[in-house]
Amino acid sequence: MRAFFILFGKELRSFFLSPLAYVVMALFTFLNGWLFISMVKAMQLQVSARSLIYNLFSSGWFWMGYFILFPLITMRLFAEERKMGTIEGLLTAPVRTAEVVLAKYAATVVVYLVIVAPVFLFFPLFQAVTGEGAAFHSGAVWGSAMGLILVGLFNVAIGTLASALTTNQLIAAMLTFVFVMLHYFLGFLQNFGMVPGSAWTAGMAYFSTTEHIQSLSEGLIDSRPVIYYLSFSAVLLAFTHLVIESRKWRV
Amino acid sequence: MIEARNLTKRYAGRTAVDSVSFEVGKGEIVGFLGPNGAGKSTTLRMLTCFLSASEGTATVAGYDIYEDSIEVRRRVGYMPENVPLYPDMRIDEYLRFRARIKGLGWRASRFAVSEAMDICSLAGVEKKMISTLSKGYKQRVGLADALVNKPELLILDEPTNGLDPNQIRQSRELIKRLGERHTILISTHILSEVEMTCGRVIIIDRGHIRASDSPQNLIRRLRKPGSVILELKGVVDPAKAKIEAIDGVKEVGVIHERGDWVSFAITTDPLIDVREDLFALVQREKWSIRELASRAASLEDAFVDILQQTPDAAVPAVEAPNLDLEDSAAESDDDAENESNSLTAST
Repeated sequence: MRAFFILFGKELRSFFLSPLAYVVMALFTFLNGWLFISMVKAMQLQVSARSLIYNLFSSGWFWMGYFILFPLITMRLFAEERKMGTIEGLLTAPVRTAEVVLAKYAATVVVYLVIVAPVFLFFPLFQAVTGEGAAFHSGAVWGSAMGLILVGLFNVAIGTLASALTTNQLIAAMLTFVFVMLHYFLGFLQNFGMVPGSAWTAGMAYFSTTEHIQSLSEGLIDSRPVIYYLSFSAVLLAFTHLVIESRKWRV
Repeated sequence: MIEARNLTKRYAGRTAVDSVSFEVGKGEIVGFLGPNGAGKSTTLRMLTCFLSASEGTATVAGYDIYEDSIEVRRRVGYMPENVPLYPDMRIDEYLRFRARIKGLGWRASRFAVSEAMDICSLAGVEKKMISTLSKGYKQRVGLADALVNKPELLILDEPTNGLDPNQIRQSRELIKRLGERHTILISTHILSEVEMTCGRVIIIDRGHIRASDSPQNLIRRLRKPGSVILELKGVVDPAKAKIEAIDGVKEVGVIHERGDWVSFAITTDPLIDVREDLFALVQREKWSIRELASRAASLEDAFVDILQQTPDAAVPAVEAPNLDLEDSAAESDDDAENESNSLTAST
């Protein structure tokens, strides 16, 4: 455990001492802010039965940013260490591979949370500025926060695995991008010529990001997506551990 | 300290290290010598638990490299080839991080880092970014990292690779000093380094151990004929015939003629010293000479000689693999030639 905290601290430092973290944070906050404003404007023009939060988080535009965000913050995790050869020093130090994997993963999740946190400033800010009564209830805020955390845990795990698979950061980024996007679009298979309502499309939709986030952003906390995201993240991390260990057995 | 038994590493279609067994005793400085691609780094990586062996095993400080990998890693200070470091960290920050993940506490790591920086002459530059360091400084940071937790065993993979001659001399001194406190296994292809620092040399080639002895014994074992250089004033022809007539002289060659001076390279029987007879001849003929010297055999000669032998002739102790002998002999000849070229360039 001791080594975990030392490695975790080192990862966080190297994130926040590099310009990448700040560039991503600034652009991401700008993008979300712009989306938020567009959403408010859209709701002024057309009456919506749904809350602002629901509309924001179920918009495809909102998730576009995430396709880029996850590759950017995870691509260097293992690929860079392997490219530079520093992995050799890391894995010949008296630390367990599991500690290395978990430390890198946990640090990246923290980075992710720091980057998305400003989104939740929008809602209180909106109310303070307009002086309107609640356009949404607090359950929706907590629910969607939880949704974002779960999505982060899952997608950072995808990125961690992708980064362990290659020494090339660009390839790691592409892999993450494709899988994050595929996972998201599983919910839209019915829009791509598949028979709506069939068991196949319904099954696929169940895996999709939007499907879960919609119920969460209405304030409905369902244990199924929680278990789904947590268990899949654990499986992905176990795979990452396996990939790193298998380097030793390289034939 | 190290006991390797039949260590083998196979990569796809290629055996990098083939059933290598050796021991390193406590307090020894052992040089691991071999041409590029001989399997040196692979062996060291197996000993440091970075790679797993395909067959065989090893114990380091009494711990098995599989069963007690963490215990082994606690006791080994390893400096990988080319010294990979995090470029975005400062020297002291990096060493603190390394000391901490090697199990030192907050306070202990401060002392350990400043001590390691003193040993490696890094005091005064501790706040520099690693990305701005020269090769020589990077090597020192790598060495400071290897010895920061005072491990019993230091494993250094080509520690002087890419340094200038002055830095090589400095690091040689440093390694000698470190040998007083640590057991050291050092891999290199720079022979002068081994000759001056190591008590024992293990020569490895194509994944086989070809020799393991002190540098002096290896040179003594050398079956190379002796060589004497004689430079005299006069003409080649009568002199050459007269030198050839001396008992024990096998061959006389002319190195160069400059003005009146001729320089001969005289190859002799390895067991006979012809210098006294040569001197008598010079006196008899009343030649003027300005050089009469025997060229001492070096570890380099021993190294080249050992690599030129066929694998099974060199080490009867190791089982000869199913090699086509003619083929491998021809190939190892080539290798030895290439190696000796690059060696003369690097020493």
